[in-house]
Amino acid sequence: MPGKTPHSNGNEPVENGVRKNQDVDMTDEKSSLKGKGKKGVKEGEDMTVVVPPSKTTKQSSQPPPPDADGDVEMDVDKPEDLEVKVDPVTQVITDIKSNFALLDRAVALFDARFTLRALRSISSLRKRLTPDILAQVIAETFSVSSTSASVAKQLLVAIGKEDVPLGRQASSEMEIDSEPKAPAKNGNKKENKEVIPEIDIFLSILVQVYLFDSKQFQQGAEFSKYLSERIHSLNRRTLDSLSAKVYFYYSLFCEQLAPLPPSPQSPIVAIRPTLLTALRTAVLRKDIDIQASVIVLLLRSYLLTSHISQADLLVSHTQFPENAANNQVARFLYYLGRIRAIQLRYTEAHEHLTAATRKAPASSCALGFAQTATKLLLVVELLMGDIPERATFRVPSMEQALHPYFLLVQAVRVGNLEDFEVTIAEHADTFRRDGTYSLILRLRQNVIKTGIRMMSLSYSRISLRDICIRLHLGSEESAEYIVAKAIRDGVIEATLDRERGFMKSKEVGDVYATREPGEAFHDRIRACLALHDESVKAMRFPMNQHRLELKNAQEAREREREMAKEIQEGDLDEDDLGGDFEGM
Amino acid sequence: MAERNLQQILNQLRSNPGLPYPEASSLLSKAKIQLLQLKAATPSAPGTPGASPQHLALARDVYEQGALFSIRARNPDAFTRYVSQLQPFYELPATAGSGERNKVTGLYLLLLLTQGRYAEFHSELETLSTRAKEGGAGEIEGDRFLGYPIKLERWLMEGSYDRVWKAMKSREVPSEEYGVFSEILTSQIRSEIASSSERAYPSLPLSSTKSLLFLDSEGAVIDFARHRGWTVRDGNIYFPTSAATVDGEPVNVTSDADAGDDKEFSRMVIENTLGYARELETIV
Repeated sequence: MPGKTPHSNGNEPVENGVRKNQDVDMTDEKSSLKGKGKKGVKEGEDMTVVVPPSKTTKQSSQPPPPDADGDVEMDVDKPEDLEVKVDPVTQVITDIKSNFALLDRAVALFDARFTLRALRSISSLRKRLTPDILAQVIAETFSVSSTSASVAKQLLVAIGKEDVPLGRQASSEMEIDSEPKAPAKNGNKKENKEVIPEIDIFLSILVQVYLFDSKQFQQGAEFSKYLSERIHSLNRRTLDSLSAKVYFYYSLFCEQLAPLPPSPQSPIVAIRPTLLTALRTAVLRKDIDIQASVIVLLLRSYLLTSHISQADLLVSHTQFPENAANNQVARFLYYLGRIRAIQLRYTEAHEHLTAATRKAPASSCALGFAQTATKLLLVVELLMGDIPERATFRVPSMEQALHPYFLLVQAVRVGNLEDFEVTIAEHADTFRRDGTYSLILRLRQNVIKTGIRMMSLSYSRISLRDICIRLHLGSEESAEYIVAKAIRDGVIEATLDRERGFMKSKEVGDVYATREPGEAFHDRIRACLALHDESVKAMRFPMNQHRLELKNAQEAREREREMAKEIQEGDLDEDDLGGDFEGM
Repeated sequence: MAERNLQQILNQLRSNPGLPYPEASSLLSKAKIQLLQLKAATPSAPGTPGASPQHLALARDVYEQGALFSIRARNPDAFTRYVSQLQPFYELPATAGSGERNKVTGLYLLLLLTQGRYAEFHSELETLSTRAKEGGAGEIEGDRFLGYPIKLERWLMEGSYDRVWKAMKSREVPSEEYGVFSEILTSQIRSEIASSSERAYPSLPLSSTKSLLFLDSEGAVIDFARHRGWTVRDGNIYFPTSAATVDGEPVNVTSDADAGDDKEFSRMVIENTLGYARELETIV
């Protein structure tokens, strides 16, 4: 036990530097997925809402929707954060190259964590990528003679820089460079030996990112197709986390292509076989990264084309890896919640969506995802008959986006059918865009139910005609059937008198006399315990640490034994007692 | 050759909707054999050379007719089969503008509704709404064939059974095939009403129960009451189940159940508390 803490502390500094980045990076990327993925219209919405103060403090937390002019922006932004003397282009190049070392280590030690670390840096690089920079890196990394020269040529073609010669020495860099020596050396070293496939795939991902950000979707899709085939032929386990990313961008490109998703002719349908084969291979190899991201991609693709039953089948036939990356889990839970909501399994949907919103990164970068998930969660809560908390609508980053939902909740809470229909009519486009429209239409019955409940609480006896008028129902007969149904469903405690045409409410019992408080308490405790368990599981212990500890413990025991022996000997002298303590 | 045969069969099927099912199905199987010869029984995977769009359209028409005939013959299984066979055809671009699609889909929705498969109903609905959005066809509820099941579902969920009843009786039924489901729906809403009445009313006079349950005569009401196990006394109907849940005569039964519940409840509380203790132990 004691040995553990100091050691892991020793690891921290290294880890920390990266981790700070990581939080921001991952969220950045995800929100960009959401922001763009939701048909681009959301982008504007996100932009209006993103006004967090933290934006300026971190260099990589640019607002999610990446613009085509990322390279220009970089020049403006950079000087604030970085040392002014370093040329931004060189900085990017060294940044990219510093990842090669990580990839090298990942392959050498067969540890995916280094690869992940390299991947995390993508989003901080992403704003600063230009074809020139990429071409320079590629040219410096690959030599003409190496076998992967053809690969490098492909990369150059993809970014439209096919005329750049390979194997150029990093001379220009050396001239300007004043401080980043180590990475530069690294780059030189690589010149001599063969470039490992991980590095070229990593560069390919950068190319993908660049193409996506500059909206060259057609080209990107073709490049990704070639890339996924290459990954397939390379067949290296150390590529796993990288290939997950490749598939991710592949699918994103297809989503943006000509017949946009809802149509069944969208290219996103055509890549499903590729993704499914990738998933099968990943499952066989217990490859968590690809499994998680491909399942999420497939679900997304099914939902985009409204193949709900297919999505449901996919979920029931696959098992989402438990220890997948947090962001993938959040996405998966969101999609799952969506499927369940459509299938009227609200309790499950609520569970999944709550988890999704909680797992969503807390920083302002993944705002798009958080908003989308929250919207859906609100609707599901309403469908379950709950009224969402008012505080949800007060969060500054959410307030504006959730406004239509706020009106909706108000209408449902009061049970005012008229308000409800007005709200729906007014914000129909917003709801349609959010994909919640059909769910919201189902709310009508909830509005009626709430209305009836309000009436049953406030009147001990009310005529059916009044109910009919207040709730704007078609006829008294309808009102009677509706109230009867509400009574059967346990919405209200009341009886109907058919002859005289009124509803008589019963006294409401004391909630604290029932077992409900106990159950709620139990649920909360269970949630806390689960949280504790999860955090214990999430702790990472360095490899072979226990051996060190064992050794320590053994040494301690030996010391103790020696001491015991000494004492014993001393005792022996005194008491003249013979004893064999060796066995201890 | 095969194409002409197919056209012939299709025309035959279209012109005689009243054809008895066995004859129709023998014609349909002939048509399907022709389709196989044309290699148009199922649309081929994209990218591979498949049947021509005309043939696929023919195939779709055959399946649509099959679906309609099986509904007329009240054969839900066959209908479901035809609908699943039609699904890939509807995904094809060439056959998008087909005449019977909404009718068949509407019937399928109604079938799901009467079978209580709400999850599938709503999944199907979701597909429809995205389709409408993409095609710019406007509201699906405005469609004669699709709007009908959607409205029925909404009213059923809400509890406006009288509207469902009126919709089924009036001229709103879009086509004769939809009438097939009326019977099932009627008995479905009747039992719904019955179960809510059991809870909602202490007692009901026979005369008004008649209109409540949409029955024709008081005799039918008494039959129905007996069927549900209600007692009829002095022109009033009393519900036995409601008596048991409210403080009626069989008090012993409820108190016994309460005692059992209490025991179970305290056991649960003890179990939970022990569980917490154990967890605390592991944490501390």
